[in-house]
Amino acid sequence: MSVMLTKFESKSNRVKGLAFHPTQPLLAAALHNGSVQLWNYRMGVLVDRFEEHEGPVRGVAIHPSRALLVTGGDDYKIKVWDIRPQNRRCLFTLHGHLDYVRTVQFHHEMPWIISSSDDQTIRIWNSTSRNCIAVLTGHSHYVMSAQFHPKEDLVVSASMDQTVRVWDISGLRKGSPNQGGPSNPGGSGPGTFETFDSFSTVKYVLEGHDRGVNYAMFHPTLPLIISAADDRVIKIWRMSETKAWEVDSCRGHFNNVSSALFHPKHELIVSCGEDKTVRVWDLAKRTAIQTFRREHDRFWILAAHPNLNLFAAGHDSGLIVFKLERERPAFAVHQDSLYYVRDKYVRSYDFNTGADIGLLSVRKFGSPYVPPRTLSFNPAERAVILTISSDNGLFELTNLPQQAQGEVKDSSVDGKKGNGQSSIFVARNRFAVLNKATQIIEVRDLSNAVVKTIKPPVQTNEIFYGGTASLILSSTSTVVLYDIQQQKTIAEINSPPVKYVIWSGDGALVALMSKHTITIANKTFSTHSLIHETIRIKSGAWDDAGVFIYSTLNHVKYCLSQGDHGVICTLDNPVYLTRVKGKTVHCLDRSARPRTITFDPTEYRFKLALLRNNYEEMLYIIRTSTLLGQSIIAYLQQKGFPEIALHFVEDTNTRFELAIECGNLDVAMETAKSIDRVECWERLAQQALKQGNHKIVEKAYQQTKNFDKLSFLYLATGSTDKLSKMQKIAEARGDPMSRFHNALYAGDVFGRISVMRDVGLYPLAYLTAKTNGLEEIAAEILEVAGLTEADIDDVPTFPSSDLKPPPVVTSTTNINWPSVSAGENFFDRVLADGNLEGGVEPAYVNGDAQAGASSALDAWAREEEVHDDIDPEEEGWELDAHGEEFQPEHGDDEPAAVEEELGAGATPGVSETELWVRNSPLAADHVAAGSFETATQLLNRQLGIVNFALLKPLFLSVYRSSHTYLSPVASLPPLHLHIRRNPTESSPSRVLPVAARSLQSVRVELAEGYRFVSGNKLTEAQGTFRSVLMALLLVVLSSDEEAKQWRETVTAAREYLLGVSIELERRRVAEAEPDNVRRNLELAAYFTQCELQAPHMQIALRSAIGVFAKANNQAHAARFAKRLLELKPDPKIVAQARQRIAAGDRNPRNAVEVSYDEFTPFEICAVTYTPIYKGSPSIHCPYTDASYLPQFKGSLDPLTQLTEIGAAASGLPAPW
Amino acid sequence: MDSSELYHVKQQFILGAFKTLVNLTLPDPNSSDYTPTLLYQARAHIALNDPQSALQLIPTGSENVAVKAVASLARYIAASETDQESSLEELRDLAVEIEGDDVEGDDRDRALVRVLAGTAFARAGEVEEALETLGVDTEDLEAVAIIVQIYLSINRPDLAKKQFERSKRWAEDDLLLQLIESTIGLVTGKDAYANTSSFYTEQLGNPSLTSPHVLTARGVTRILRNEISEAKSDLEESLEQQTADAETLAALVVAAGLGALKKVDTDELWARLATEHPTHPLVIDMASKAELFDECVGKFAVPPLAG
Repeated sequence: MSVMLTKFESKSNRVKGLAFHPTQPLLAAALHNGSVQLWNYRMGVLVDRFEEHEGPVRGVAIHPSRALLVTGGDDYKIKVWDIRPQNRRCLFTLHGHLDYVRTVQFHHEMPWIISSSDDQTIRIWNSTSRNCIAVLTGHSHYVMSAQFHPKEDLVVSASMDQTVRVWDISGLRKGSPNQGGPSNPGGSGPGTFETFDSFSTVKYVLEGHDRGVNYAMFHPTLPLIISAADDRVIKIWRMSETKAWEVDSCRGHFNNVSSALFHPKHELIVSCGEDKTVRVWDLAKRTAIQTFRREHDRFWILAAHPNLNLFAAGHDSGLIVFKLERERPAFAVHQDSLYYVRDKYVRSYDFNTGADIGLLSVRKFGSPYVPPRTLSFNPAERAVILTISSDNGLFELTNLPQQAQGEVKDSSVDGKKGNGQSSIFVARNRFAVLNKATQIIEVRDLSNAVVKTIKPPVQTNEIFYGGTASLILSSTSTVVLYDIQQQKTIAEINSPPVKYVIWSGDGALVALMSKHTITIANKTFSTHSLIHETIRIKSGAWDDAGVFIYSTLNHVKYCLSQGDHGVICTLDNPVYLTRVKGKTVHCLDRSARPRTITFDPTEYRFKLALLRNNYEEMLYIIRTSTLLGQSIIAYLQQKGFPEIALHFVEDTNTRFELAIECGNLDVAMETAKSIDRVECWERLAQQALKQGNHKIVEKAYQQTKNFDKLSFLYLATGSTDKLSKMQKIAEARGDPMSRFHNALYAGDVFGRISVMRDVGLYPLAYLTAKTNGLEEIAAEILEVAGLTEADIDDVPTFPSSDLKPPPVVTSTTNINWPSVSAGENFFDRVLADGNLEGGVEPAYVNGDAQAGASSALDAWAREEEVHDDIDPEEEGWELDAHGEEFQPEHGDDEPAAVEEELGAGATPGVSETELWVRNSPLAADHVAAGSFETATQLLNRQLGIVNFALLKPLFLSVYRSSHTYLSPVASLPPLHLHIRRNPTESSPSRVLPVAARSLQSVRVELAEGYRFVSGNKLTEAQGTFRSVLMALLLVVLSSDEEAKQWRETVTAAREYLLGVSIELERRRVAEAEPDNVRRNLELAAYFTQCELQAPHMQIALRSAIGVFAKANNQAHAARFAKRLLELKPDPKIVAQARQRIAAGDRNPRNAVEVSYDEFTPFEICAVTYTPIYKGSPSIHCPYTDASYLPQFKGSLDPLTQLTEIGAAASGLPAPW
Repeated sequence: MDSSELYHVKQQFILGAFKTLVNLTLPDPNSSDYTPTLLYQARAHIALNDPQSALQLIPTGSENVAVKAVASLARYIAASETDQESSLEELRDLAVEIEGDDVEGDDRDRALVRVLAGTAFARAGEVEEALETLGVDTEDLEAVAIIVQIYLSINRPDLAKKQFERSKRWAEDDLLLQLIESTIGLVTGKDAYANTSSFYTEQLGNPSLTSPHVLTARGVTRILRNEISEAKSDLEESLEQQTADAETLAALVVAAGLGALKKVDTDELWARLATEHPTHPLVIDMASKAELFDECVGKFAVPPLAG
């Protein structure tokens, strides 16, 4: 044993008790200061603290299957705690011990707790009744520990009286432990010890220790006991059925031994003592293997994890959690085979077939307690090199046998060994060995002769295969790619110490893994990316598509070559990934057993496809999977692919954002219309302006009533007629400033003059008229102002103005500036073709690494181009002479439209009916919302309904009953009000329509149908049952209970409908074809096979009896009569039935042969009314499940006349 | 400040007691209450869908803008679809006219013109024009009531609430404000329609007026509260007082469909509504839904019947 790996340490008061949680990474520690701590040792956090004991707590245990903790302390109390975080509390306290409680333990299956105490007793408690059910007396000093046997009804205890005792408690199990002592009715309270003693007896008293014994436990599987005592000795005892004896002692501790445990998996003993050591012993040889010493702290307690290679030890100032050996199995993957080491055997595992065979024993290689560290496989020679860390590092080269032989070969036979810390194959007939101490790498041939010696350029801790004739050297801060032949460094990357190196299937990419980082590099190390993890990285493997899948302590994750990474799934326990194939991860677990994990690769495949511009695959994924949540949209946006995200985002706000981002004005326009908020229009205007699409700018300005900008836009585009219309609008708005602007822009002198006149600025008006040579108007103004020419003599005369707005050279009013075609992308094409549904599944390249990896390289090379392709900001400005021609726009933008927009107050919101449709997957709710189209689709999909015509009155009445009208204000059209199912629910995301038809009301209708049957009104009954079945389609269900009732009602209605239909057919036959007695009889018989209620069944049976008796089929008639009797009818009917049976007995014959075998179960085809015996093929109505002969598949079901027989249907959803 | 008679008239108008208003004897033509009362009476006629009576009531040749507006509204409602435009134009002109100074009528009349024009525009489906005319910043409660109802009809209860909140600041505890609040409650269903329900229940207890309309309104509220049998009794009581009221009848049909009545009786009631009030929105809506249904059904191919 060369390693003892500390996983976790805590500082605290003295730890006297420890217990592992069986499944979660939790450890309970009982402290000398009275506190009980619950640690998560994987995360290193204190999860909880239980502090109710007074004085030291010594005993602690966690229930093997429930979230319970038991503690025992120096306050004589035993407490049971609920450790679930949400209801953490002390459940109850067990009183009875009269001195310190030393240990406590739960029984593995009974609700028992065992405790040992300084009061010299061991007690067993029933945790259900919370009573003491047994007191084991016999020890004559403190009882230091008491443990149940892991399987049998035995207890082992250790005491200061220097003995270890084994107790038989089988009597306790046979008795009735809840009541204390049933065999002795006199005593059933705690304290009457005699009572309990009848249940348990001392089986063996093991004497041999010279001092008090501190601890004793059973071996988990063997009939062995281990004990630890103050005589510094650990003793091993063996038991048989009849006796127990001492086997051997382990000596070495030089102070009191506090505790000793059997290793749960290996033949080892772990002990600890007051000599401040933890020691590991070989159970078979009883020799010390390993000693772990602590400077100042005495050890008090040990605990072993029940399943894992994990131990905990408590000492004077805290606790440590440790494992005894590396768990990471040595393995290598070649093609479809995994070569790995388990229990010191080299094994091969076939990924395809799962065949797992042992090939080679390496038991004699290095220390027997240390597993090999690495394995390197040479397929050409079918040889392996193993390394082991014992004996300062050894390697061994051995050939594997071709086939698994009867006797597994041992490597010591022909293995070639040597010293070295790291050793790998570098070529078919060469391997390299690193000697860390001398810093020399030797290259050896297969006969183990050194052919070359290399001095590595850096301090090398480990070497890995680096591609043909190359090595990867791992040093403390860098990783070096080294060419063996030329003896020179090819490349060097900074990295924390690399511990594992994984090459992709085609050797193009390599993952360099250290404790918390992964570096993904290409094979020359010329490009690389780094991933950081906060949790320990354990292992990794390449997907054949060039995605690296890796595992950390608690996750399986993926990482793309450019560094994007994400979680695939969580892990309970670490695993070592060996191979990824499609949706399956192959791995080795902690005990080196091959396992597989299936996962969903959609997310990373999508990202990969995106990186590679593989639109077909993206389309396929979009179409077939549901991954496209916010995270993917955010990802696309962040990675600069807004135009792709745009194609599958439905939320209008997001669509708008994306459309603006990628400059897709059409979509932006469309979404802005539906959002209709000022900011949206403004942003749209901005973007459109950038792209030179002034039509959209105009629309946006109109929407926001941005008159100034609108006018300026018209000026810029030379749209004079619109400017004049703007003038009118300004006039209507009563905004003279705006009028003036528009007049100025339009070069409309008259307009300007009239504005100024209107606002009373006569001087300006006059001058304007004058300078523009409009003498007449000027005179008019003068006159209006009440002045004459003479009054304005002092006004200087200005020369006539010839300033004008620039003339329109190119009329851009009706044409947009030309812009570069946005370039139809793949999705546009697909969407235009309308075949988003039609994408072809790409041949995903698993198992064919070449194709995948070569495109992976391409993707890398292309990475930068991708960004160039889609710079949305620029494309609008790139004037391309060869681009589109100027296209005169035809759509006349009437300014009338502008005027309409001006008054715009509010756009309609989402109507309640729309909410209903959104909130419910039930057809009934869609009908109530008036969304008949979706309702019919739902019914078709859920229940296979095709003939909706019959449902029209039902649909209309449900719709009609879900809305009402009221006019609160005179003369306005009434408000359309919507009746909700639950009046107290008004949240838009939860409102649902009123349930117009309740299951109750339909069942009332069904009862009416029953009455028709009783009253022999079969035609009416048939109609009623049909109507019931229709109404059931639109019943709203709200619970599983209701759904069950619904199904029962459907079935009952179907059976009655079928029965009534059969009986009606029988009457028709009897009338129309009186000679067809056989058919008459058959139909009468089938009627009795329908599932009817007792009164109706009586009618059916009596009718059948009559018909059969008349036809002289006495035997059958008698059978029906017997069935009738079973229903316990009226005495009168009983008498008749008995007569019929008597007649049948007298004359047990049937005159007419009928096709009716009552002894074989059958269903009745609802078309032909003939039996379909069990085992014969039949198909069913997707709604009522009525049976039909297979030839009717695809026809309309005649019972309900609603469904297509045999159609696929998904059934009703359960939205509650 | 209104005289108590006028106040009462107004209250009756708000609560839909149109029948009572129609039968009211007008005050002395010289009293200041005359014109307002006349206007309410005319509007009550219009509300009862009897614009002819309203037109007869209105003195021809009056220059009062409000009177003119009522006449226009009456003509608009009386007109067949093709002739409505001219009445709308009249109202548009009036709405522009009241902006000027030289019109006959006080502020109240001007507000009423807007209310009436807004009503007509809303009826014509010109939502934006109606809102524009009424002015979303108006301080006339009647206008607010219409604005609120318009907002509600286009599923914008948020805007409706804003209007209400805004009005609360200056309208205090006016009856009409309470009605507005209750109307918003009808649509949003806040607190299980508690507000609406108690408003109408309170008004039913108002001793100074009886209006079957309030009964109907409470009946409708009760339907919304899923209190079907209570709703039925309200509606039936209301129907006794106003046998031919389409709204009550329509509501009763709905209550019946939700289990208040047997299917046969429901169908009979529905048939009655459909024949007597072919223009009621429920009837029209159902006709369109029937068409929609046929359209949807056509999308499924029905296979031949088995056998």
